[in-house]
Amino acid sequence: MASVAGGSAETPPAAPKGPESSLRAPSVGRQLIGRVTALREGSIIVVTIITAIYFSANTSSFFTGDNFKTLLPYFAPFAILAAGEIFVMILGEIDLSIAGMYLFAPILFYKLNTSLGLGLVPGVIVALLVCMAVGALNGFFVAVVGISSFVATLAMLFAFEGLALIISHGTPVATPGGQPPLDTFGKVFGGGTYSELIWAVVIVVILQVVLTFTRWGLYTVAIGSNKLGAAEAGVKVAFVTIRNFMLCSLTAGLAGIFEAVRSATVQPDPAGPNEYLFLAVAAAVIGGTLLTGGSGTVVGALIGALFLGVLKDGLILQGVNANYLLFYTGLAIFVAMTANVFVGRARRGHGGSG
Amino acid sequence: MPPSSAPDDVLRVEHIAKRFGPVTALRDVNLHLKKGEVLGLLGDNGAGKSTLIKILAGFQKQDSGEMFLHGKPYAPKNVDDARAQGIDTVFQDLALIDELSVYHNLYLRRERLLKPFPLLANRQMKREARTALDEIGINIPRIDVAVARLSGGQRQAIAVARSTVGSDADIILLDEPLAAMGAKEGAQILDLVARLKDEGKVSIIMILHNYVHVLQACDRVSMIQDGAIALDKPTSETSVEELTDIVVNEYRRAREETHKEAARQHTG
Repeated sequence: MASVAGGSAETPPAAPKGPESSLRAPSVGRQLIGRVTALREGSIIVVTIITAIYFSANTSSFFTGDNFKTLLPYFAPFAILAAGEIFVMILGEIDLSIAGMYLFAPILFYKLNTSLGLGLVPGVIVALLVCMAVGALNGFFVAVVGISSFVATLAMLFAFEGLALIISHGTPVATPGGQPPLDTFGKVFGGGTYSELIWAVVIVVILQVVLTFTRWGLYTVAIGSNKLGAAEAGVKVAFVTIRNFMLCSLTAGLAGIFEAVRSATVQPDPAGPNEYLFLAVAAAVIGGTLLTGGSGTVVGALIGALFLGVLKDGLILQGVNANYLLFYTGLAIFVAMTANVFVGRARRGHGGSG
Repeated sequence: MPPSSAPDDVLRVEHIAKRFGPVTALRDVNLHLKKGEVLGLLGDNGAGKSTLIKILAGFQKQDSGEMFLHGKPYAPKNVDDARAQGIDTVFQDLALIDELSVYHNLYLRRERLLKPFPLLANRQMKREARTALDEIGINIPRIDVAVARLSGGQRQAIAVARSTVGSDADIILLDEPLAAMGAKEGAQILDLVARLKDEGKVSIIMILHNYVHVLQACDRVSMIQDGAIALDKPTSETSVEELTDIVVNEYRRAREETHKEAARQHTG
């Protein structure tokens, strides 16, 4: 009866069933391109590959093992930050306090280790638990009190960057477990060359599975897409919101500790973390996660972060004046986002919402 | 007006009242629903129909009054709790999640999960959703597309189906299932309601605006006026004329009251 109404002219997204479509598809190559663009991350994958090819062709030192050793660890921390942030962004919220957690966690870890004599691993665990408690507070202010997440987490950002300065007296300290020669702890928690990269990939894979294949992920999308509807269907909105903010603070604290171990010093300077906050949000957005909520991908954030890393690395290798880096980053985000919009429209067919 | 408490009542509502600040939404509502019955709920905008549905659904709590489900006191803690006790609701805004697929919407809050790890059993849900939709005669070309891509009628059908697919509800509450719908789409929803009724498992309370629809689809009609039930009759014993008369009289009274008030303010 209602059969005429539904989709007839749209191209189906990459669904597992495809014997008929492969009969009609002219070539494997075009089918592959079709599949890639059908993915939410499709456009940024294409843009990243083009960027990498461009730098490989123009800079002899880009496609080398040595360069990968600097490039790959460079983008890992904001991929980790972005992975958690995405769970908040899909809700339609934002967490600015991740920069605070990123700065605060390693300083707390240092204090726990040196002042309280806590072991390295217990120190990390306690520091991360504190981060999660702060995340719970963020979630509480947003979901229960009803403060906008931008304002609540901005306040939390200032508070914890301030707290980090207070307890560190603004002086850099040597990261416990981060001094050479590195033992297993140091190598695992950020000191090893690819340690952060491995963590980033593992975290991204786990969180992508959580997002796509669990009720947690389903409810996160549901709340971001239709908060009232989700509540009417019985989804516990406050609970999911608080949990996602906790996750976001956890990944931020983890990334902060990794970076402190990798660089062997805890730098009580908010400037770096603040830049990472924006790079993480940029990576998420470039990767195909909407700021308006209801849609997002963790893998996309990893690729978005890789894109930002490739761009910065490539520009540096090309000998571009350091003063131009931010400017080019800005332009690149415009280009990537415009590509996202067009690919997204093609994927959704015309007139999709949100 | 005490409700006639027959033994085959699946749901009974006694003296329900609800205020929102200074506004009285429900004054004193008494209502009953028989097994397998389709009850049409009528009333002016703001008469309290949706509030009553939300209380029955566990989404809001009444200030006073009692409810009985199969003769036992019924006080749902939330929507989940109401659903667990067998009352499922299709809210006016449909509560559909645009970004999620048809089958994820159908199974929201009662997802099928895989065995060792609690991952979503998408394939099973897809298969079961397809069979269930076929059974109740809803024709959706693809159930793995986002709900945002469906037409208004299809969305409404999915929202109604959600209360039956994968759920063992024996009471379904429909808040304006025909709102903003064309004649053809509306007819499909009423067909669906008729099929559910014929299966004999569920009892339905449905808010409607069109008297013809009420007489056609419902066994009995209750009209809420001013936060209380003003009429409760089998549809076979009433007519479009009677229902219209009640509403016309109400409008007349309301206008007279407004005039009186205006006059009072003039003199005072």
